[in-house]
Amino acid sequence: MDVQKKKTSLQLILWWSLPVLAVGLVIVAWVLFSANNPRLMPGPMAVIQRLIKVFEKPIAKTSLFGHAWASLKRVLTALLLAWTIGIALGILIGWNRACKAILGSIFELIRPIPPIAWIPIVIMWFGIGEFPKVLIVFIGTFVPLVINTAAGISMVDKINVDVGKMFGGNNWQILRSIVIPTALPSIFAGIRTSVSSGWTTVLAAEMIAAQKGLGALVTRGWQGSDMALVLVAVITIAIIGSLLAIFLSVLEKVVCPWKSN
Amino acid sequence: MPLDTKHLEALQQQWKGKQRKDNIKYFMMGATGIFVFLLIWQLVVKSGLVNEKMLPAPTTILQTLLYKVNNKPPDGNVLLVNILASLQVALSGFFSAIIIGIPLGLFMGWWKYADRFIRPIFELIRPIPPIAWIPLVVVWMGIGLKAKALIIFFTAFVPCVINSYTGIKLTSQTLINVSKTFGAKNFEIFYKVGIPSALPMVFAGIRVALGNAWSTLVAAEMLAASAGLGYMIQLGRTVARPDIVIVGMVVIGAIGAVLSALLSSLEKYFLRWKSVR
Repeated sequence: MDVQKKKTSLQLILWWSLPVLAVGLVIVAWVLFSANNPRLMPGPMAVIQRLIKVFEKPIAKTSLFGHAWASLKRVLTALLLAWTIGIALGILIGWNRACKAILGSIFELIRPIPPIAWIPIVIMWFGIGEFPKVLIVFIGTFVPLVINTAAGISMVDKINVDVGKMFGGNNWQILRSIVIPTALPSIFAGIRTSVSSGWTTVLAAEMIAAQKGLGALVTRGWQGSDMALVLVAVITIAIIGSLLAIFLSVLEKVVCPWKSN
Repeated sequence: MPLDTKHLEALQQQWKGKQRKDNIKYFMMGATGIFVFLLIWQLVVKSGLVNEKMLPAPTTILQTLLYKVNNKPPDGNVLLVNILASLQVALSGFFSAIIIGIPLGLFMGWWKYADRFIRPIFELIRPIPPIAWIPLVVVWMGIGLKAKALIIFFTAFVPCVINSYTGIKLTSQTLINVSKTFGAKNFEIFYKVGIPSALPMVFAGIRVALGNAWSTLVAAEMLAASAGLGYMIQLGRTVARPDIVIVGMVVIGAIGAVLSALLSSLEKYFLRWKSVR
């Protein structure tokens, strides 16, 4: 048993060197590819230089943080709206069968349309200001929230609801102290999806029409054949996206501590 | 005391009847809901509350839809050509993601050293939203089918890998131990125990991948294309034809729903052993 559990030193070396090797390989591949095709892909050094230049010479009078904040602000505004309206609607659809029949069927009609497909019509209606972008992100974040909330609410064990009734709880009490806590992990899954979907949708909205924002930086770099700028923006987008995901998983542990084991 | 089966059966019949009545009632409510929604839309537009140049009435949209079946203007393709162009892009990206992503995820989840090597690369690429790849891919490969399929590939690839990885990691250790006791080789356990037990998760991943593929398609086509539903929408906007835009949205939604229904029946077929307990 002991012999089997212990790893040989060779295995240990392999265990720790493999991830390092993998990341090294990616960097080497990047350097080699960019050295051979400088116009297609700037190397890591070029990207770092471009990053410094972004801070020295801000684009559209906004620093990189300013662009990131512009995108984040749109996402957050839309998310706050979507959380309030989406969760409320999800609870209605999941809780009341009549609501499910009427609102749910209209929702099902609109749901399969991808949020990005809304961009042209929203631009036609509201132009290219701040509101249409928030609206597009709202559409993208609203759908997963309603679906997850409704699913979580309708999956609550009927016995628990019956116990609530036995103890003389009214509809509102049962909903508040039995149904919603049970549905919370599912609602949280919806929140998590809404954040990542919102972060993707805002980029699409900004890439089509915007002055500020990370998506606008991508388009600007693309149109000016400034691939280093595109990469700076893309890497910033990826970093913020992962930070948001990490933040949410920490938050989930705080909000529904009983779920993690 | 003998069980009053007759009474019980009568009760059951009554309950079933009520259930059926309820189902019909709620179905009617749903249908009425949609009908009223469309009716209000129609009335709001026709009464002039909303400019018809901005939001066409449902009847106008139906007319445009029928018109597009046989006529090319304004985007230069009949509807079916656009649909096929979009399907070709979406499905080629989607299937290549399945073919590469699922085996990769299973492989990573089963062999720890593969996991140690592939995971860091995967984690570096994963947080980049697929839409952010568009400029790079267009610069690398132009705006042909391959470029668009590659963008779709990125969106569909990630859920395929993650779900097959998680699914096979969740394989019950008891089952693995039993197979070991019966003298199965590691590879044999992998494909006889690991893969079937990962299958429900894999299907969930495929479902997410399909949804992603279909919604990213619009983005890929809006930025660069000469045919396809996303292109039709984008062109409808530039020539100020909201009816064309909404027809495009409706068709995209409908095809997305059909694809996901197809996948559901496929899933039911492959996982039919699951419902038998």
